[in-house]
Amino acid sequence: MKISDLTDNTGEWLRGTGPDSDIVISSRIRLARNVARFPFLSRANVKQKTELEEIIRDKIKESEITQDLFYVNLADVSPVDRLFLVERHLISREHAGGEGVRGVAFGKSETISLMVNEEDHLRIQVIRSGFELKETWKTIDDIDNKLEKKINYAYSSRFGYLTSCPTNVGTGMRASVMLHLPALGMTHHIEKVFNAVVKLGLVVRGMYGEGTQVSGDLYQISNQFTLGKSELEIIEIIESVIPRITSYERMARKALVSESREQLEDRVWRSYGMLKVARTISSDEILHLLSQVRMGVNLGIINDIQMKTLNELFILTLPGHLQKLEGRELTSAQRNIIRASYVRKRLEKIES
Amino acid sequence: MKCESCNKKHATVHLTEIVGTAKKERHLCEECAQTVNTQLAKIPTPTEILTSLINQVAPEINEMSKISCPVCGLSYLDFRSHGRLGCPMDYTIFRKGLIPLLEKMHGSTQHVGKVPSRAGKELIKKNELMQLRSELNKAVEKEDYEKAADLRDKIYELSGDNNNED
Ligand SMILES: [Zn+2]
Ligand SMILES: [Zn+2]
Repeated sequence: MKISDLTDNTGEWLRGTGPDSDIVISSRIRLARNVARFPFLSRANVKQKTELEEIIRDKIKESEITQDLFYVNLADVSPVDRLFLVERHLISREHAGGEGVRGVAFGKSETISLMVNEEDHLRIQVIRSGFELKETWKTIDDIDNKLEKKINYAYSSRFGYLTSCPTNVGTGMRASVMLHLPALGMTHHIEKVFNAVVKLGLVVRGMYGEGTQVSGDLYQISNQFTLGKSELEIIEIIESVIPRITSYERMARKALVSESREQLEDRVWRSYGMLKVARTISSDEILHLLSQVRMGVNLGIINDIQMKTLNELFILTLPGHLQKLEGRELTSAQRNIIRASYVRKRLEKIES
Repeated sequence: MKCESCNKKHATVHLTEIVGTAKKERHLCEECAQTVNTQLAKIPTPTEILTSLINQVAPEINEMSKISCPVCGLSYLDFRSHGRLGCPMDYTIFRKGLIPLLEKMHGSTQHVGKVPSRAGKELIKKNELMQLRSELNKAVEKEDYEKAADLRDKIYELSGDNNNED
């Protein structure tokens, strides 16, 4: 398998299936792990980093996590390929922009990814379509158990899994759910959601995690604390808040339909029309348009486009993907033209 | 919708910022958005939040300021300014400074989650290791680095036995 082989399809988590998938795009969990008796990466020298990468890469292979695990040495791939992997949520922005020997292993379905020499020696990630945190936990717990048989993790009974940054110590777990909340945004009720979420010790972020902007009405809700509660307790706290948010979003959508149906339909159809006819679309504009159309599909206003197609377009029209598609680096203006033409083609196929 | 910055072009960029629990929306044309993007980058990063937390909860600055980890060489002051630890041993060496910080961050200082299965077998050795680690702490606090290095080796030797895979 090569990175180019990925461009033809997208990860399974974009299928748009699973519980509450009209609002919950995906459920994701990552675990931070370090190898005992090695310094963390910020204090490791080149020799130690090389040794760590070799050990972990080998142990991942030996652990037979999934059949078709593919390993990419990130120091060997182009910036466009790294951006492409970030956009698919296979690696973090930090890992893409990092230096030195580092890599990522992932399965063909793109459900599992293992980052080697990121901020911690190893970061395991599992991502699934819809609201499925418990299932996601089962998968990642199993992977972690397999690896733990081969790797001696840095662990203390007091502080749990020891991590480079004390914000991750303990479980080393970050569980997050990506939500599409256009109606709460339009009706200006989203602040109430944030207040409820923050009270539970959770945080709200944009689509690509820490420090990123919110766009396309996509929000990530995740745990802040990692110490003092078990993995399942943390998951249950997140699970307890999500149904409240999804029913709130559904209420807001209903209210929009009953109070201003014409305006809502107008917004949705205008956005759909724009996607079908525009000759240049910026990356921010497309997120906005796709968000409106996605809500229109969920409300039954638009019927001729699949949720999977829409979910995929959120990813396939990102800068790294367009450049991968064209096979060369593009300026922002060039990307906007190619983005518009790519979307037009995808939507024409549906009509015929 | 017109761009709220230049009021001329059509707003095609719709940004949402989250500051604390407040949401702020901005509707801009692409050109204006490019200049604004650099300003938006000033939202504090997690590392900045972390270092400011560290500064709030670390009154033991005088007591801790001379301490460095004998294993990785990280000083407590380095940790304070960058927010990253250098090696697993730092959780022992900087324990005094870390406990109030962890309490503030996580509302707890005791792990109750998953235990690696190999950790169970180590329970007997654990007590011995804990003893050695507290001695190591004392030695580092007294700046007795010779003794600290000695203890460190003992700790390594003991934890090294656990590496048998079965
Ligand atoms: Zn403007
Ligand atoms: Zn250290």
